[in-house]
Amino acid sequence: MICTACSCLCDDVEIVDGKVLNACERGYRHISRYRESRAKPMVEGKEVDVDSAIEAAVELLKSAKSPAIYGLDTSTVEAQKIAVEIAKKLNCYIDDNSSFCLGEFVEAILKKEIPSSTLDDVRDRAYVVIYWGTNPYHSLPRHMSRYAYYPRGAKRQRGYDEDRYLVVIDVRRSEAAKLAKKNAKFIQVDSDLELVDSFMRALEGKAGKYEVASILREMKKADFNVTFGGLGLKYGLRGNFRAFCELLRNINKFAPLYFIPSGFHANMRGFNETLFEAVNAVNSYSFSSAASSPEFAFTELLKRERIDTALIVGTDPIASLPLEASGKLPKLKKILVDPRNTLTSKIAEVVIPSAFSGIESGGEMVRSDGVRVKLKPIAKAEVDDVYVLKRILEGL
Amino acid sequence: MSFAFKLINREKKLEDCKPLFEDKKYEVQLKKLQEMVKPLAEATETGLIVKSEKCNGCGNCIVVCPVHVEKDPHGAGIGRGPTITDPIYRIENGKLVILNMHACRRYGRNRILCVVCRENCPTDAISFLEG
Repeated sequence: MICTACSCLCDDVEIVDGKVLNACERGYRHISRYRESRAKPMVEGKEVDVDSAIEAAVELLKSAKSPAIYGLDTSTVEAQKIAVEIAKKLNCYIDDNSSFCLGEFVEAILKKEIPSSTLDDVRDRAYVVIYWGTNPYHSLPRHMSRYAYYPRGAKRQRGYDEDRYLVVIDVRRSEAAKLAKKNAKFIQVDSDLELVDSFMRALEGKAGKYEVASILREMKKADFNVTFGGLGLKYGLRGNFRAFCELLRNINKFAPLYFIPSGFHANMRGFNETLFEAVNAVNSYSFSSAASSPEFAFTELLKRERIDTALIVGTDPIASLPLEASGKLPKLKKILVDPRNTLTSKIAEVVIPSAFSGIESGGEMVRSDGVRVKLKPIAKAEVDDVYVLKRILEGL
Repeated sequence: MSFAFKLINREKKLEDCKPLFEDKKYEVQLKKLQEMVKPLAEATETGLIVKSEKCNGCGNCIVVCPVHVEKDPHGAGIGRGPTITDPIYRIENGKLVILNMHACRRYGRNRILCVVCRENCPTDAISFLEG
């Protein structure tokens, strides 16, 4: 089966004699506990049947003056496409977690502003492997062993300590940083922008705050190097995203360096690509304004009280968003489509239970490097995201 | 010294030293020795100790293992779960389990002190008796 616990979408997970094989702890918990704490169809706190809950959701959306659709990062591409159709029909906002996650990086890749590649190419060809502001130990446990650093590849046959050069950039000595031993470098940064500046200066042959010339020398030895950027990089750049893109372009004049975002929900990139195909934007999109803007991000819409109804799919904003934003949720009508009981389901006006994508329902997801993966579910649910969203679209 | 090595290699047991148990004057030494050899009970024949509670199933140990690379070049060798029937390690239910310690390079007469799995464990879930 395909594990949908994170954006690695590991395809070698098996279930044999009741044991989950090859999945990391995060994947195992995701797979083994899918039956626990399941949501029930509810309208205004009362249990109803699924059809009534869907009808109530349709009525709420029809009567909404300013609705928004939010979430969808654990749904399949098929469900995401229907959600975009609903947003188009309602002429409303649509956003996912990537607006405060790694959406900018995916957008730059889709617009071909920065060079990117696939994890399979990384395994087969990459020499310098940089983890910048990401700790795969927590976010993508099998990333280093499955794709990036440890596996032998077609052109990297001699193993990690000879055929790879690992660089870990982080504000603390993370678990991944502890693995930077032989043929490796750990840079403990105070400021990512100063590190960007150090790289720029090193390219010109000048010294900067951080010693990075040795990394550039290593890059020069290979025809394929890769940087994995995470949330630490995004927020470390303090909004100066262009400086990082410029750095990547400049390094590529010197030695080939690809970029792959790392560390997000199973199908966040799928949402970005689906929306990009439809409207040329990856998130925070308003169909009524026909534009994407940071002010259309779900968190901003909440803070500015610009919406009165939210269709939330497969995410728990009460638990995950800061109080400044989540504190506004009780003021609006909420329709939650989620397989599990969450804090948001406790305050949602309408709860529609759904299925776990990849476990109970099939479809397609997009891995962090943009490779599309067909899911192989191990169970079958009658009601999944596609069914619910299709019914809502028909009802509208 | 010879007895001590045999004790560590598990060729002898503490009980094989009869005076230690029979003579009261060795009571303190016996207690200390029992504490010292306690880790032997939880270690495999190669001296390997896996602390499951620390393991997050990242699989680094499986992929770096030179035995796996040699025997399973298209499975564990390229980062996938082992495809051979008798791998040394496997991840089961999100945790590392030892399946076939006899294949480890630390086992048998021609053993070598390989520690590559321990060196690449991000959480120190793997350790050996020697440290």
